[in-house]
This record gives sequence, C-alpha cells and structure tokens, in this order.
Amino acid sequence: MHSRLTGVSYVLPAFAVLTLVLFSPVFYGLWFSLFRIQYGAPTDFIGLGNFARLFEDPALGGTLRRTLVFTSFSVAITIVIALALSVWIHKLPPKRGFVVQMIVIIPWIISTVVATLLFRWVFVNDIGLAISLARAAGFGEIHLLNDPNSAMALLISVSVWKRIGYAVIIILAGLKSIPDDYEEAASLDGATAWQVFRMITLPLLKTPLLLVTIVLTLSNINTVETPLVLTGGGPGSATRILPIEVFDRAFVTYDLGSATALALVMFFGNVLLVLGYVRLAKWKA
Amino acid sequence: MRTFIKVAMAATVALAALAAAAPSMAQDKTIRMWTFLNPTGTAPREVALAKIIENYEAANPGTKILVETQVWDQMTPKFLSAHATGNAPDVIWVVTDFLGDAIKSGSLADLNELFIKDWSAEQLADNAGAYWDLSLVDGKQHSIFVSRNYISLMYRKDLFEEAGIDPTSLTTWEAFHDAAQALTVKDAAGQVTRYGFATGFSEQQADPSPILPPMLAAGIEPFNADGTANFANAKGVEAMTLLTDMVKEGISPAQAATWTVDDMFEQFASDRVAMIQGPAVRVSTLQAKLGADKVGLMMWPGDGVAAHSPAVMAGWAVGVWSGSPIKQEAGNFVEYMLGSEADKIWVTDGGQVPGLQSTLTELADFIAQPGNEYLAVAAEGSAKFGWLTPIDFAVGGYRQAINKAAQRVLVEGVDVETALKDAEVEFNRQNNR
Repeated sequence: MHSRLTGVSYVLPAFAVLTLVLFSPVFYGLWFSLFRIQYGAPTDFIGLGNFARLFEDPALGGTLRRTLVFTSFSVAITIVIALALSVWIHKLPPKRGFVVQMIVIIPWIISTVVATLLFRWVFVNDIGLAISLARAAGFGEIHLLNDPNSAMALLISVSVWKRIGYAVIIILAGLKSIPDDYEEAASLDGATAWQVFRMITLPLLKTPLLLVTIVLTLSNINTVETPLVLTGGGPGSATRILPIEVFDRAFVTYDLGSATALALVMFFGNVLLVLGYVRLAKWKA
Repeated sequence: MRTFIKVAMAATVALAALAAAAPSMAQDKTIRMWTFLNPTGTAPREVALAKIIENYEAANPGTKILVETQVWDQMTPKFLSAHATGNAPDVIWVVTDFLGDAIKSGSLADLNELFIKDWSAEQLADNAGAYWDLSLVDGKQHSIFVSRNYISLMYRKDLFEEAGIDPTSLTTWEAFHDAAQALTVKDAAGQVTRYGFATGFSEQQADPSPILPPMLAAGIEPFNADGTANFANAKGVEAMTLLTDMVKEGISPAQAATWTVDDMFEQFASDRVAMIQGPAVRVSTLQAKLGADKVGLMMWPGDGVAAHSPAVMAGWAVGVWSGSPIKQEAGNFVEYMLGSEADKIWVTDGGQVPGLQSTLTELADFIAQPGNEYLAVAAEGSAKFGWLTPIDFAVGGYRQAINKAAQRVLVEGVDVETALKDAEVEFNRQNNR
C-alpha cells in the first residue's frame, strides 16, 4: 500500500501538469462547443448544433479529402527520403556524416513560418532567386502557386523539406542502436545488401519508424503555418486543408462555435489515428 | 535557535522594506495595449507610436504603457475572446470589419464617460466625420479611429512620368485600363518585366477587392439590409470582368492570384508593378523604401458622372476595454494618443492621414510638401469619396470570399457571375445568413 502511494506521488505532478495544459482545454472546448457562441462567449445551449452545422457544409468533404492527400503524401515521402538519407549517413565516415546530418537538420530547427517564407521567397515569389534563374535559363514564366496540382505538390514539398530533419534524427538513432553483428552474420550467410536491409535493418527499425510516422502524421494534419504562409489555401480551395478551415472559422468569420467543433473533431481524429497506428504495429510498451 | 532569530529578523526587515515601498508601487499603473504596431520597430507608424508613448509616460510618471504586439488580422477576434474570458487588454485597436461585433459584445467602454464629456464644442467638431459616427451607437462613443486607411490606388510617380501619363487623367475605368496597359513593359523575349496594375487575390491578409468602388459608385451596396451578400450584381460582374481581363491581357500579373498584400508591396517596391491597390497608411512605409518622390496615392477612377468612385475606408478604432480595472487611466492615455499633439506626430512621423480637422489646417505646409500630397488625397477622399463597412451585422470574410471568386475565375476558368454567386453563398453560409 505504501509503495503504491509512493508511485502515485511520483506521477501526480506530471498528471497535474497534463491535466492543466492538455485535458482542461479539451474539456473546456467540449463544453464550449455545446453552446451558441456570440462575441466569443457561450450563450444558449444547443447540444450538438455546432457539430451538425459542420456536416451541412458542402465544402468540408473536399477539405477533408485534401487534408488526407496532403498528410499521406507528406508522411510517405518524408519517411522514404529520410530512410534513404539515414542509411547513407550511417555508412558515411563520422565527420562527413555529421556535416550531412547538420545540413539535413537545418530546415527542421528553424521556425516554420520563417522556413516557409524562405521557400516562398526563393522558389515561388515572382522576384525569387529560383524563378529568376529559371527565367534566365529560358524557361519562361513559372507560376507554381497558380495551378491547383502544383500548389498542392509545392505544399507537400515544403512539408517534406521542413520535417525531414526530424525523421532523419530518429531513424539514424534507430540505425545506430542495431548491433553490427547482425549485419555481419547475415553477410557471412550470403545475404545481399538489399536482403540485409529488408530482412534485418527494416524490421529492427519498426519502433523508430512507427514513432516517426505518428509524429509526422500529427504534425502534418495539424499544420496551419505552412499552408497559411505558402498558399493561403488557394488557388481556389486547392490547398485548403482542415487546420486552415479551423483558423478561418475562428479568425476570419469569427464563428468560434463551429471552429471549436471542427477542432474537437480533429482532436479525436488524431487520437484515433495514434491508437490505430499503435495497434497496427502491435507495439508493446 | 540563533539561526531562527537571524531568519526572523531578516524577514521582518524585508517586510518593513516592502511596506515602505508599497505606496510608491501602488502609484505605478501599467496600461496594457494590443496593437499590430511594434513600438521598437522602424516603420514610420511604429516610430510615431513609440514617440507618443514616450511623451505620455514622461508626462505621467508612474504610468507605463505595455504594448503587446499582435498579428493584425487576428487581433480583434482574439480581443473579443479575451473579453469573454475576462482577460482583455486595457486598450484595444479594433479593425473596422469587427467593430460592430466589438460594440455589440459590450467589450468597449463609453468614451463619453471617460473623457469626451469634458470636451468643448470645438473639440467635438474637430473630430466630426464618418469615422466618428461609425462608433457612435445609442449615444455612446465606443471608440475613436486612430488610423484611417483610405484604400485606393498607389502609384509610382517616376514610372508615370517616364510613360508620360498624368495621374489626374485617370478619371474613368477605361482610362485606368489604358494607363495600366501603357505602363506594362515587356522585354525582347516578350516577357513582362513590369505590370501596369496589380492587386492581391490571396485569401490571407486580404484587402477589400477593387470590384467594390465601381459597385459603390453605381449606388450598389455589397450587402443587403439583412446582411446577406450582394456581390453578383451587374456592376460587380462588370468590375470583376475588368479586373480578371486585365490579368488575361497581361496587364496585371497572373501570379497575383496568390499574392497577399505584403507580396504586392514587395513587387511594387521592386519596380515590378506601376500601380497597386493600397491603403494610404502604407504610403509612408513605401516612400521610406523607394523615396518620397516615387510613391503617390490617387483616388479610384469615377464612373463618368462622379469624379471618383468611393474607396473602402478601413481603419483601426481605439477603445478602452469595458472590463478594465483601470478604465480611467486607459481612457486618459487614449485621449492623449488621439488628441491634437499626438495626431500631429501620427502625421509627421507616422505618415498617417490626419484624424483631426485642426491638424489638417495646422499642418497645411507640411502636407503641401512634395511627397506628402497623398495625405491631402486621402483626407479629401475620406470626406467625399469613401465607404465604411456597415457595423449592423458582421462582415468578416467578405474580402476573402470575393478574392476567392477572383482566384476561381483566373485559375479554374469559372464564369465571373457564377464565381461571385458562389462567393455570396459561401459568405452567407459562413455568417449563418
């Protein structure tokens, strides 16, 4: 009994902080979403009225579809490139590996708004370096943000570029934790490099890959800065994803009721996604 | 025991020192203010604000103005939420589109009670005008405008001169179109190196669309009496067609479909555009970059009957939070920040349009100086050719809805009338109308 109380006393501070910073906003949001919101304050109780209004919005289906496209492509491309980069860096001599690692990490450590602005100025803006070089090379006018498909591709590119550093760090840590003996033993048994990677390295990277997948999914599905700064959701609705929808409902039309309802739907969607990932990977703590 | 006595003595001394300091601490007042200007910044209006705060603090020892700089397009909604939760700043800058919400929410104190009740008839007359009337509701003065954004045509004086075009000749939309065409420059390869006119069509940081002035000139309001949108009227369609056709003709940049207001200013400052839609308050910032002799402001072209079409007048109204525990002190600061002395600083240092009639008269020589003519243009425009968004209903999102319609015309090839009708539906749905 005494030891149980001791254990509780250890986790109590952390639980209190979590309650304060994580659970209380969720509960407040839940309560808030059940009321008609006028001028930022809850007025009449309307039950699930705010949630019902979400389903009446004919554009929300398209926004959800674009969010899934953006998130799945961003996560998949980031992981594939990060895995390749990590394996390459892992095999480099330590000094060179360190330099490459630092270069890869730079986009991740700078602020998202700054990183996106940099991307916009260099690659997208009419007076940007890349566009000027393309023009000088005779490629003519390139307006990547004006085409719905290239705008989405660009948004995915920025997301991949921005987050690849994080994925590389985690996967590289996973690679370093795999004992060299395994690879050596497999090689002695005649396994090719590809077989070693597929049959030994990849399965042993399951935990870091799962972690990266979860974090990247959550980070992409909730990102508002990148699309806001890069495309503003346009052209038309081509890059309008759920976080922008929440932002606009809250700060453009000031419809806090439906903004909160949509944010909550996203929150529970996030929770379900994490549970799904963990279950799929049969991850045991 | 000896240690205990030492600690007890130290605590007693500390308490006594605190008690002695208490009266002077009690006199210190910190007034929290939310604005989009950063008083440590170098933009003209930021310099002006810093000077005003410095002057006020010097004249009122013990009072500190704590500026909490916010992102301009999120500031007013955030303030309304902060009001609802009882944690709003003492002084707030409210954007025109949300002024009605701010007043109806009861978040703004009546400035009559704080200081206007003591004003003379001359002072009241000095402030009179459309901006004053906008926040006068049910006999209560909820705010006073500190910044009057007359959103019209900003142009490059040097490029106009080079092309031999007199800005005063742009009296009709046809003349405006022809001037934009004449100002467009292409290189030997046929690529446009400078566009005649540009306006940003992004939904983020959106200014009111240039389709509004021709509509307003024809006497058509963009909103019906019940607050529903009225964008897809004949004049709106005609104006949007003109704007999007200019893009198709290569007079306006196609990439403006995703340009924000800031993108547009960058292009303007980089000699890429000769005319842009822009607010008077930004002229001084661009003059600081390009030179006062290169940036001018003109009113929108007329419709052949009136000399000019009405420009949308946005702006920032300053009020005192109704829940502030130091309303009177906050009111005193607001009174100074919008008073005669500060108004001159806003004009001379900040490059803003005068808020008071007396400033216009007293600074006549300053306004007449080369480079400052835009102040007179904006002042005249505000008095004769201006339109303020209604405050009887919320209009948040109308700029974005019209810009999105333009994007759809330009990028998706949607018919102008359909795009504007869809914009009406979207605006009405977003606002539950």
